[in-house]
Amino acid sequence: MFKRIILSFIAGSFFYCTAAFGQVNQANWKEDANIYEKVCDASITINKGVNLTLSQLYNEKPVLLALIFTRCSGICNPFLLQLKENLQFKISAGEFTVLVLSFDPRDTREDMELLSERLGLENNEQWLFATTGDIEKLNQSVGFNPVWDSTRSQYDHDALLVGINKDGYITKKLIGLRNRQDLAQMINSVNNIFSPSYRLPNKNLLFSCFNYNPETGKNTPGLGLLFLALPAIVALLLVFGISYSVRQKQI
Amino acid sequence: MQNSILMLFLVLAALSALVFTFVFISSKKAGMSVQGLSNPLRKRFWFLLILFVVLGIFASVTIPRSPYFLFADENPSRVVHVAAMQFAFIMSEKAIDPKSPVGEASIELPANELVEFRVTSLDVNHGFAIYDQSNRLIAQTQAMPGYVNRLRWKFKEPGKYTILCLEFCGMAHQVMRSSFTVK
Amino acid sequence: MESIKLRKITSLWILIVLVLFIVNIVLGILMRLNQGEIIHQSPITFYANMTTHGLTQIGIWFVAGMAAVNYLLQRYVKTSYSANVVAMVLTVIGILMLWASTYIGKFHAGWTFLYPLPLKIMWAKWATPMFLGSILVMGVGWLTWSVSMMTQLLKKYPLTRALAWQHFKKNPSTQTPPFILISMITLIGIIACLLGAVLLLAMYSAEYFSNGTFVNDALLMKNLTFFFGHTIANEMLYLGLAVIYELFPEVGGRPKWKTTWYVALAWNCTLVFILTAFFHHLYMDFVQPVGFQIVGQIASYMASLPAASVTIFSVLVAVYRTPIKWSLTNLLFFIGVAGWVIGGLGAVIDVTITNNFVLHNTLWVPAHFHTYNALGNVLFSLAFFHWFFNPIYQGHP
Repeated sequence: MFKRIILSFIAGSFFYCTAAFGQVNQANWKEDANIYEKVCDASITINKGVNLTLSQLYNEKPVLLALIFTRCSGICNPFLLQLKENLQFKISAGEFTVLVLSFDPRDTREDMELLSERLGLENNEQWLFATTGDIEKLNQSVGFNPVWDSTRSQYDHDALLVGINKDGYITKKLIGLRNRQDLAQMINSVNNIFSPSYRLPNKNLLFSCFNYNPETGKNTPGLGLLFLALPAIVALLLVFGISYSVRQKQI
Repeated sequence: MQNSILMLFLVLAALSALVFTFVFISSKKAGMSVQGLSNPLRKRFWFLLILFVVLGIFASVTIPRSPYFLFADENPSRVVHVAAMQFAFIMSEKAIDPKSPVGEASIELPANELVEFRVTSLDVNHGFAIYDQSNRLIAQTQAMPGYVNRLRWKFKEPGKYTILCLEFCGMAHQVMRSSFTVK
Repeated sequence: MESIKLRKITSLWILIVLVLFIVNIVLGILMRLNQGEIIHQSPITFYANMTTHGLTQIGIWFVAGMAAVNYLLQRYVKTSYSANVVAMVLTVIGILMLWASTYIGKFHAGWTFLYPLPLKIMWAKWATPMFLGSILVMGVGWLTWSVSMMTQLLKKYPLTRALAWQHFKKNPSTQTPPFILISMITLIGIIACLLGAVLLLAMYSAEYFSNGTFVNDALLMKNLTFFFGHTIANEMLYLGLAVIYELFPEVGGRPKWKTTWYVALAWNCTLVFILTAFFHHLYMDFVQPVGFQIVGQIASYMASLPAASVTIFSVLVAVYRTPIKWSLTNLLFFIGVAGWVIGGLGAVIDVTITNNFVLHNTLWVPAHFHTYNALGNVLFSLAFFHWFFNPIYQGHP
């Protein structure tokens, strides 16, 4: 009886897992490049024409740098929308500024202001929209390589979010549309909260023992932990089951 | 460190052997009369309490020094990516592409500065243990496929350090080694 | 009639264990000679020997403990002869399958067969399923055996009495013999870790037969491996302790030991600690959440407290300035307890995370293990064998 329950549970999880496996991200080893390197101290122009350097910004608060261009017909928009949505929740205790920076020399300050209005973030103090003249150096320092595709008049590029701590070091990079857990880890990393390990992004999360919980910043039990506790639980159930059934027979 | 661990073990082991010998001899000498231990329940309680306190002190002193908390509030000045595979360590200061893993021929690290090793595995579980020049194990972590372990360490002495795999990983496990230099 | 059958099968168990023990000692000596460069074996032969030696050794001392407990349990309840036979047949088949995989198929993933090493095939293709199958066959046999023993036990003793909970009250109306209490606690742990093995093997086969579409999580697999491996290695010693509680006073001509509130409490606590202590095998996997690492250290420390303050202390109190009829049986028990203490000290030192960080654990852990097994658990079983075949104690066959 109990064995049948376990077996059907395993079989069920197995099929669920096989189905879920196709959806996970591709291996993204590029995220490990440039970590703990100093970011280029680019001069930037933010809303209302204020000129700053990147170091003035990150010295005050850690920075999450999102590199986009306004004429993008691809990933930039969903990327920013998801970032905005994820940050609506207080997902980490750490503080930070979000800097949305254009890597397209054609973008003007007006284009960026328009973008901030379109996203409904023009009055949000946490978000800054900026252009820069030092884009080549900056791209190089964060390992970002947009390629111009003249037939589509578009840049071929990754959706890159770079975490920069108060000392100007890159502590973490995220490539692609990512979930709140990953973002929370990035916010922790720019605030120098050390976690002794992390999971590679191409890994199947279903059977892992722990998931990072963004609400509390702690690891919470995952389905894998249930698997880990399962033998003990089944053993105890078995003990109760046997105890109950032999008692019944005697009465 | 290893020497004091060994000494601790030997002293405790010798002590236990003495206690058992003493108790055995006392039984041989007892003749026909049962003298036994007076008030055993009370002595048992004290024995338990002392053990509990000793272990409690040990735990509270050692747990905060666990490797998971080492140099947690500092920024490393160097990062070394390590990808372990059967039967070699690939090390690079740049991120390693698992599809075409390429490492650097030699790694040089600064002395007295914080270094972070980001250790992962491309196939099975491996160990990543750093031995100093006198072949003493100074720090280690495991390399697990799909995960990255971050080992932070400051090397005090310049010289050549050896890396050995400490988790059985297949038929050439015993020759899986690498090294780096600290200047 | 029943008891003659049980005597026969127990003798057969002892014979199997002793023969395999000698084979295993030879394997151990070969490995040592190779390490000392007196003989030269290929690494594959060496690691195949290592895999065989480790698993066979765990297997035989586990069944030795089980056979002894089964034999003594007959004093209290009627045990199932057929479950005993099933366990024996499956153990022998399992061992033969294991040897086929390691010696014909050259399987050599180590006795911990840590995921995903068995699936990175560097040997005959059939050797991996054969190896995993051998664990499954033995696991099923042992599971049948322990479930059957527990069922018989629970038929006579209700669960709360088998766990001696009535001793937490003042002046309990009924007594639970210590042997019953320890057997019950140990059987629960054994069933849990064998179910862990079943789950582990199910996950292995899911990956093996999925042709690469399903991949397991390495951290979970390592946790499961040590939940099984650490727990079974620990429980087999507790089987030996059950035998000590039963036979040590009897052989020495002293009154039988009684369960008291602290004995009951200690063994009930042991059940909890033993199921969480295995985390100490993952200290150097920094990916394991820190909370679990700390639980690992504390549970491992705590596991030593009931053992030291109840069992070991009781053995010392029972002997101290007390006339005892010493024979090889209880001398082996006594030395075994000392060996267990010394091996256990090595364990307590290594479960301290800061020590674990600077120790070569694939060296220190086998050293600890050999001390507590060869100088402890093995002596308990040999003591039982001596008692079993000694005509003085077996006046009425």
